[in-house]
Amino acid sequence: MYIELHSRSAFSFLEGASLPEALAGRAAEIELPAVALLDRDGLYGAPRFHHAALKNGIRAHIGAEVTSGGGYRYPVLVKTQGGYRNLCRLITRMKLRAAKNEGCISAEEMAEHAAGLVCLTGGEEGPLAHALGRGGITGGMKCVRELSAIFGRENVYVELQRHLHRDEEARNQAAVEIARKQRLPLLATNGVSHATRIERQVLDVFTSIRNHVPLEAAGRLLARNSERHLKPGERMARLFADLPEAIAQTPELSSRLEFTLKDLGYEFPEYPVPDGETQDSFLRQRTMEGMISRYGANDDKARRQLERELALIERLELAGYFLIVWDIVRFCHNKNILVQGRGSAANSAVCYSLGITAVDPVGMDLLFERFLSEERHEWPDIDLDLPSGDQRERAIQYVYERYGKLGAAMTANVITYRGRSAAREAGKALSFDLETLDKLTSLVNAWEYKDDDDTLVRHFQDSGFDIDHPRIKKFLELCIRMQDLPRHLGQHSGGMVVCQGQLDSVVPLEPATMPGRVVVQWDKEDCADMGIVKVDLLGLGMMAVLEETIDIIHDHYREDVDLARLPADDPLVYETLRKADTVGMFQIESRAQMSCLPRLRPVKFYDIVVQVAIIRPGPIVGKMVHPYLKRRAGQEPVEYPHPSLEPVLARTLGVPLFQEQLLRMAMIAAGFSGGEAEELRRAFGFKRSELRMKEIEKKLRAGMIRTGINAEAQEMIVKSITSFALYGFPESHAASFALLAYASAYLKCRYLAAFTAAILNNQPMGFYSPATIVKDAQRHGLRVKPIDVAHSDWKCTLERDGGNWAVRLGLRYAKGLREEPAQAIVAERSIRAFASIEELKQRVPSLQKAELITLAEIGAMNFFKPSASFEADTGAEAGGKKRRRFHRRDALWQVERVARPAGPLLDDRQEAPVNKEEISGSLPLLPPDASPLSPMTDAERLMADFRGTGMTVGLHPMSYCRAAMTKLGVRRAYELEHLPNGIRLRIAGAIIARQRPGTAKGFVFLSVEDETGIANAIISPDVFAESRVTIVSCPFLLIEGRLQHQDNVISVKVDSVEALSIPSAAAASHDFH
Amino acid sequence: MPFACIHVPNFILQAALRIEPQLRIQPAGILDGNPPFVTVIAKNKKAGSLGLQIGMTKSQAEQIQGLQLRRRSIEHETAAHAALVDLALSFSPRIEETAADTIILDLAGLAQLFGGFEKLAQRLGRRAKKFGLSAQVAVGSNPEAAQLAARGFASVTVLAPDEEMERLGSLPITALNLSLEIRETLERWGVRTCQALAALPVAQLSERLGQEGVRLQELARGASERTLIPTIAAMEFEEAMELDTAVSELEPLSFLLGRLLDQLCRRLSARALATNEIRLRMELERGEDEIFGIVEKRTNSGMYGMKRDTPSSASAKSTASIYEHALRLPLAMRDSKALLRLWRLHLEAHPPASPIVKITMTAEPAKVRFAQSGLFVPLSPDPEKLEITMARTGHFVGAANIGSPELLDTHRPLSFRVGRFNPLEASLPANDFGGSSVSSGVSVRISSGASSEDPVALLPATALRVFRPAMPARVEARANSREDTGDKTRDNSRDTSHATTSKVHAPARVYFGGVWGDVMTASGPWRTAGDWWTEDPWNQDEWDLEIEFPVPAFSHMAKGTQKTESARARGVYRIVRERATGDWFVRGVYD
Repeated sequence: MYIELHSRSAFSFLEGASLPEALAGRAAEIELPAVALLDRDGLYGAPRFHHAALKNGIRAHIGAEVTSGGGYRYPVLVKTQGGYRNLCRLITRMKLRAAKNEGCISAEEMAEHAAGLVCLTGGEEGPLAHALGRGGITGGMKCVRELSAIFGRENVYVELQRHLHRDEEARNQAAVEIARKQRLPLLATNGVSHATRIERQVLDVFTSIRNHVPLEAAGRLLARNSERHLKPGERMARLFADLPEAIAQTPELSSRLEFTLKDLGYEFPEYPVPDGETQDSFLRQRTMEGMISRYGANDDKARRQLERELALIERLELAGYFLIVWDIVRFCHNKNILVQGRGSAANSAVCYSLGITAVDPVGMDLLFERFLSEERHEWPDIDLDLPSGDQRERAIQYVYERYGKLGAAMTANVITYRGRSAAREAGKALSFDLETLDKLTSLVNAWEYKDDDDTLVRHFQDSGFDIDHPRIKKFLELCIRMQDLPRHLGQHSGGMVVCQGQLDSVVPLEPATMPGRVVVQWDKEDCADMGIVKVDLLGLGMMAVLEETIDIIHDHYREDVDLARLPADDPLVYETLRKADTVGMFQIESRAQMSCLPRLRPVKFYDIVVQVAIIRPGPIVGKMVHPYLKRRAGQEPVEYPHPSLEPVLARTLGVPLFQEQLLRMAMIAAGFSGGEAEELRRAFGFKRSELRMKEIEKKLRAGMIRTGINAEAQEMIVKSITSFALYGFPESHAASFALLAYASAYLKCRYLAAFTAAILNNQPMGFYSPATIVKDAQRHGLRVKPIDVAHSDWKCTLERDGGNWAVRLGLRYAKGLREEPAQAIVAERSIRAFASIEELKQRVPSLQKAELITLAEIGAMNFFKPSASFEADTGAEAGGKKRRRFHRRDALWQVERVARPAGPLLDDRQEAPVNKEEISGSLPLLPPDASPLSPMTDAERLMADFRGTGMTVGLHPMSYCRAAMTKLGVRRAYELEHLPNGIRLRIAGAIIARQRPGTAKGFVFLSVEDETGIANAIISPDVFAESRVTIVSCPFLLIEGRLQHQDNVISVKVDSVEALSIPSAAAASHDFH
Repeated sequence: MPFACIHVPNFILQAALRIEPQLRIQPAGILDGNPPFVTVIAKNKKAGSLGLQIGMTKSQAEQIQGLQLRRRSIEHETAAHAALVDLALSFSPRIEETAADTIILDLAGLAQLFGGFEKLAQRLGRRAKKFGLSAQVAVGSNPEAAQLAARGFASVTVLAPDEEMERLGSLPITALNLSLEIRETLERWGVRTCQALAALPVAQLSERLGQEGVRLQELARGASERTLIPTIAAMEFEEAMELDTAVSELEPLSFLLGRLLDQLCRRLSARALATNEIRLRMELERGEDEIFGIVEKRTNSGMYGMKRDTPSSASAKSTASIYEHALRLPLAMRDSKALLRLWRLHLEAHPPASPIVKITMTAEPAKVRFAQSGLFVPLSPDPEKLEITMARTGHFVGAANIGSPELLDTHRPLSFRVGRFNPLEASLPANDFGGSSVSSGVSVRISSGASSEDPVALLPATALRVFRPAMPARVEARANSREDTGDKTRDNSRDTSHATTSKVHAPARVYFGGVWGDVMTASGPWRTAGDWWTEDPWNQDEWDLEIEFPVPAFSHMAKGTQKTESARARGVYRIVRERATGDWFVRGVYD
């Protein structure tokens, strides 16, 4: 029997070419009973390998190749749990003190952490090969003696690898001699770097990427042959026919390696409670306190629910977890940071009482078991939404402070090779020129819907490649093989893990790119799979918008808005929603949501919960959307699969829309317990297994027979559960999102200026570009003022405009303007206004020429008052009636002189210390001179606006060509609702969103904006195929088609499209996400 | 002082059309780049109307039906430019080669000769057509105005001195050949025409765009004054002779060539120059197939064309009536005797197909080589003599087979190339670990057994005598078991060192070169495979075999083979198996 005890996966980052799953799968295929994974300086792939091995029925040994300062790597295998802890600590120590992907350990450190580990002498990068190369046999003997001293004689194995190299064999002979002399066991391994022979090509590409040389120049850096793959036992036995003991030793050693990742030794930290309290009692107290403010003291239903939950929490010993999350939430409340729990936590009344979530699960009759159940043996999952940016960072830093650097860490995010990155790197390795690569990678789209044509092959053909050319063929093949292989480790945006004691003994830690951050070597799923509890502190752009809106309202309107106390049923909000006038609103602004809102016609909060949940793959794939909308419109009777299910399905009119309803259906119809029902959901969820599904279905049917449900109803229930479980959306999560959706809608309807300023200050986020948001706000009557050096702050602000509030665009929207000089402008301006561009440049010397040009070009310098000579030059009348205004080109003319370097003769003048007082005093700086340039035309201004700010506060580009459009018979967006269904017509405008949803069978949806509003266009796959390039790449389109007026939803079914040439660099559209 | 400018728009395409005039009426495009990244770089209108765009890849362009595609030819462009120069020189002795597609002519004193500038310009245009080029011609009071107008206006333009500013004013500023920065600035200012630029106040313009701005404005006004940079007559060294009677023997030809070479070398010497390329063009008499008793060898083409790797190289173009060869030298020379020797060697290898009626010899001038010998520097052969020796040897062994071997950075066994022989750089680059897998092709050290010290570094050096080409072999493999091997491998105990997979399908008997031998000891396989992304990958197993032959009678064994007691001969060989085909070869024998 042979066991492979030295293999690397692609988690050795560019030194291995197969995923851990592929290694485990291949090992099972060739009947290896166990395999050890030793990735370079990490346990990155260990959890995935562990689970894949379990699935394939083999044993997974864990280890690592640890880089030594001596220029070699110790291949170590974990023998015991103590050894595992030692290895994690050792790697952590090495990683935390070095830059990313660097670092090494000393022999002393290895010795300090050697307990419980077994050391192999390694292949060509191992300590023995290194010693032999430097000191010959004597050196080798010494090295092995040292290893024996570090690890103990019984834990050192002299490793032999045979990849059919002469040099390697010479080393092997030396190793055999050393082993015999020192009476150490020989161990055969294959130093595996890839699962199968063919993956050697990927390994070569990785080698070339790692060394930054193309393949043709990589020479002897590449593999000598393809022998580093997993080999069956008998082949290894043949290979070592002369040394059978080296093969026989592999099962021996394997049997000594008792550790598996099952014995991780992870403990969740205990929350420190006052003396005399237990965690349970402390949680109970905090919960009950919360209950009084949430429900009042006399709500029996709530109290009963809380008691039930607390009892379960106590049984599962989870009080500490709830207290830790409560602690974070309390910190946020104290620091005025908006925070809201989302996900299944909103099913818990305890979470609601503790202030973690904002949805009342008792009032909404939500199902607690979806969140927590006794049967699951899993940590609950609480995600907290925080305002993205600094506020979230403060919360994260709080957790670090509270639990220490080695007690808390972010989860990793494994960045893998995808279409674009694989194409780029493989292309570079094959020496393709950059221009060709750019062309190619720009074609590899991340579209949700892929038709049969949407293949890499097609992209290659589109970019003019001859796919029959052998190099192109190889390129394509490599791109496909590289897909999903790990590229590097990133940091997850918000997942944090905490641990009782030292987290570094559970999983190795690494420094993150952001200073002060530590990240574990596993990603979120791996942590969850390994039973490590995590708290997700997620940054949500909308939370930041809401927070900022409230601040702006406080500062300008002098009103205090409390999100928890918003008027519950503001008629204006619902009226706006029914009109699908939802640009900028959370979760309900997408094209699909907009087309559903007029049909769903929300009138109360729960309708928004449904609205948030209904435009999801689950209901769409499960064909629940149309029945629900029809029943809502009274076009179809409300029916239930079985009368007993009416209480569960009544509020969604007999159509199951939420995961909780499925669970309850199983509980009522088949008598499942809450935990069993959750088990059912998981069995049918993403990680579905045929066997488990069959078993549970049997159980479900048996249960339904017991409760006397007839065969027909059974069939219906099973069908709806099985088809829906995969994509269903938890009601609690929908409710949490609906709260935010309502809040955003309320603030937009009631405080448009504040909301618009806040949403512009938190870009990029949401569905639409700033240009669309500004145009939408303008259509709603808001005045948006342009960027102005004399008035704009860095952020967008509010200004009084007559009796109303107007939004002044912030300097952040001037493209290329850095924040530091922008803030300096604001600071200097507060001392004294600028009289000229020259003065601006003198007082803010960090402003660069390109920045000045942008400011001049977008009209941000038009405020300067012209000089007398200016007026004389331009012949303006002294009376001031026909005063010529300072225009953008005047500013550009000045900037060009001001920004010109003074030259060596006058450089001294600049170096002289600038006396601020002098400047702010009476230094006579000349006002701008006249310029001989003519002002920009409308079209030029529009282009300058889009180029410099990505938007315009002036007229919509379409309004400049309206006359021409009218001649062509083009209708405006606002006209459509008054036109009869079915007529043929033309529309035209800027394409602000293009979508091709996975559920829409290849249909493409466009949002076409003109000066009056947004029209929707639906393109069939045929029309799309015909005009693919025009639709995908032209910013403005002229569309011809037939008007569809269905259930208050207006759209144009497109027959043909044509590119429109409009003088503007169009704003970015939201495409295909 | 009036000037004319002749400009050929779309020059790359026109250079091609000049050679293939029939393309003018067809949609045509020019391709450039290295495969597979060949793109369109020029096109005519017809091609444009069919949808051809600059930058399209070859395969995209090929999808357009009826389109004629040609590769870019620098030769065609050089010829077109030379024609343009000839054309200009035929009008004025003072011309400037402003660009490949543009020539400026000084017209001083020519107006009367041609009946006015208008007529002169028209004649220039017509003459260009005769040269196969469709040109735009303009006459202006200064070189820049003429150039601007020629580039900006179609056909023929004559600018009267008082209307230059006005006429040029309508041209877009892009005609001024602006830097990107200035073009962007002017675009921002809304300055789009030469007229608009001309109208800007000079002092303020200079404050903003510096002297470059002022220069551009002068250009835009047609007021730029600059002196012409006249083309100096090329330094051509050419000698020719027409023969009354055709020469068909090498000796008399050598005599004639010697005379020409003497003349050329004298002229070069007078101007303190030497040559690094001599071109020989001979016009041949038609009808004869064979002269000098040798049919022209075409097989030597490998020797030529590899300019980088061969010590001296010649490019050749022989048609039925013209013999045109060039001798490129790695260093500049002007020793006519040495040059004659080289030419003789070359002519022996590449004799012309017919008797010769005209000889033209052109020398490319080059700076003379200077050398300073050092007191402590060992004497190296005189470069000229060395060159002749190399050419002589190359004549016998083929130019690709002479020079210094250079190791290639690859695992591919025995990979090397022959670089230029340079005695001063003769030391070989360091080999890789153990020096065993990459061979210089001359001899390599291999590891032949375990040692009690350093397993690799201290092994005794052994040389591998490489057979080129490798000898095909037939191999009988041993059955797949160790026991079996043990029986047949008599000396097995002595070589446990390499008894790896060697006992699996290890060769048992080898037939090659008309003999056979039994394998006594086998070591291997040593496997290498690579270059999988190219069309020339390799994948092979090497074996080191100790072979015992029944008859000790091979010359190639003389050194590496020892007689045994039983009068049998033994030798250690390296044999190789191509894994793709299964073919065996004997690669060499160990000394």
